[in-house]
Amino acid sequence: MLRLALKRSLRLGPAVSHTPSAAMVVSRGYHERVVDHYNNPRNVGSFDKEDPNVGTGLVGAPACGDVMKLQIKVDEDSGKIVDACFKTFGCGSAIASSSVATEWVKGKQMEEVLTIKNTEIAKHLSLPPVKLHCSMLAEDAIKAAVKDYELKKAKAAPEQE
Amino acid sequence: MLAFEDNQNICIGTIENTSSSPVYLSSGTSPVPPHLPRLHPLKPSPLLSPSNSFLPPIDSQLRNNLLDLPRCGFPRNLSSSNSCSSCWNCGSVGPTSGAFLACGSCGAVQPVDSSVDYFQIFGMKKMYEIEEGDLEGIYKDWQKKLHPDLVHSKSEKEKGFAAEQSARVIDAYRTLKNPLSRALYLLKLEQIHVDEEKTVSDPDLLMEMMEMREAVEEAKDTQSLYEIQSKVKKKLDSWSNSFKEAFSKQDFDSAVNCTQRMKYYERALEEITKKL
Repeated sequence: MLRLALKRSLRLGPAVSHTPSAAMVVSRGYHERVVDHYNNPRNVGSFDKEDPNVGTGLVGAPACGDVMKLQIKVDEDSGKIVDACFKTFGCGSAIASSSVATEWVKGKQMEEVLTIKNTEIAKHLSLPPVKLHCSMLAEDAIKAAVKDYELKKAKAAPEQE
Repeated sequence: MLAFEDNQNICIGTIENTSSSPVYLSSGTSPVPPHLPRLHPLKPSPLLSPSNSFLPPIDSQLRNNLLDLPRCGFPRNLSSSNSCSSCWNCGSVGPTSGAFLACGSCGAVQPVDSSVDYFQIFGMKKMYEIEEGDLEGIYKDWQKKLHPDLVHSKSEKEKGFAAEQSARVIDAYRTLKNPLSRALYLLKLEQIHVDEEKTVSDPDLLMEMMEMREAVEEAKDTQSLYEIQSKVKKKLDSWSNSFKEAFSKQDFDSAVNCTQRMKYYERALEEITKKL
């Protein structure tokens, strides 16, 4: 119950492209990087799910009712991630974690991004222990996006012959 | 066989006089040498009285065995069963069922007994469907007896008890009033541990929730917000019923699943409320 109350007090609202309302409360628990990602959202948006070069990772944290969508655009020849975007409904830490994740996967190989650990994201954002699972959610979203892309490729491959 | 009558008692009994000294027969008021037995015919022997809870703490083991009573530890106010609790102030025994938060006889606030669950505090059966209308009345009744403001003239010890009991009753009230928290509390009482940190990737569930939240975000006027709100409320009610069924069948996996969905719907409703 305490954890839920803490989450409620730290909750800032959803991440979309509109300017955050004046009602946003910057509680002393938030690191400046988290606030920065909230105020200046990077890579918020959506790719076409049906695009064969797009991998979509959709994950959720039922305990806090968070949903996180992370998409990657992959160059099929090089296997490099050329673009990424996200859409997250959850607390400031979840939004910032997914934002950081999209920044970090850009320009990397798919195998490489699978090694991104939630602890690195958490450290970068100075997340408190109670928010560690937000970074875990971002790590899972990256993995889910890569998995989705590979599944798509595997399905498409026999048709190309 | 001896019988005598004096001002106080009619005493019928047998005293075996094995010593050479005379036997004293006396009324209740005059002192009796302690080494001699006293018989009190109007009261049955303490050893054979199951309803008398003020039994001297001699050989409680034997007494329990004889009478097959539930074990009550001494001192009573530390026992985990509230049917044996007694008031620290006046010694009255607490109720045999329900929560013993304040003494019925002297009004003294009792220390928190965490084995008493929230349902017991409100005198309700431990189940999902409760009379929500009754909650507020019972809550106010308890606060009239427990609130710290009412014990400002009492001892530090009792003030401390009042602060803790009153806070616990508030927690109980809030937990039971909201259906989701009530559901989660019931699961907790059944020792079902829900891993709060687990991520889910059920695509249908998440897609539905994503679209729902997006709809709330993109809603342009209060009319559309109300429409979404009523749809979400319906879904919440439907899953709430599913929880009730799953829980009553002890299908805890489904029950947990229901609470997860309820959580998502509640979040959406919170966002709608913020926007309205």
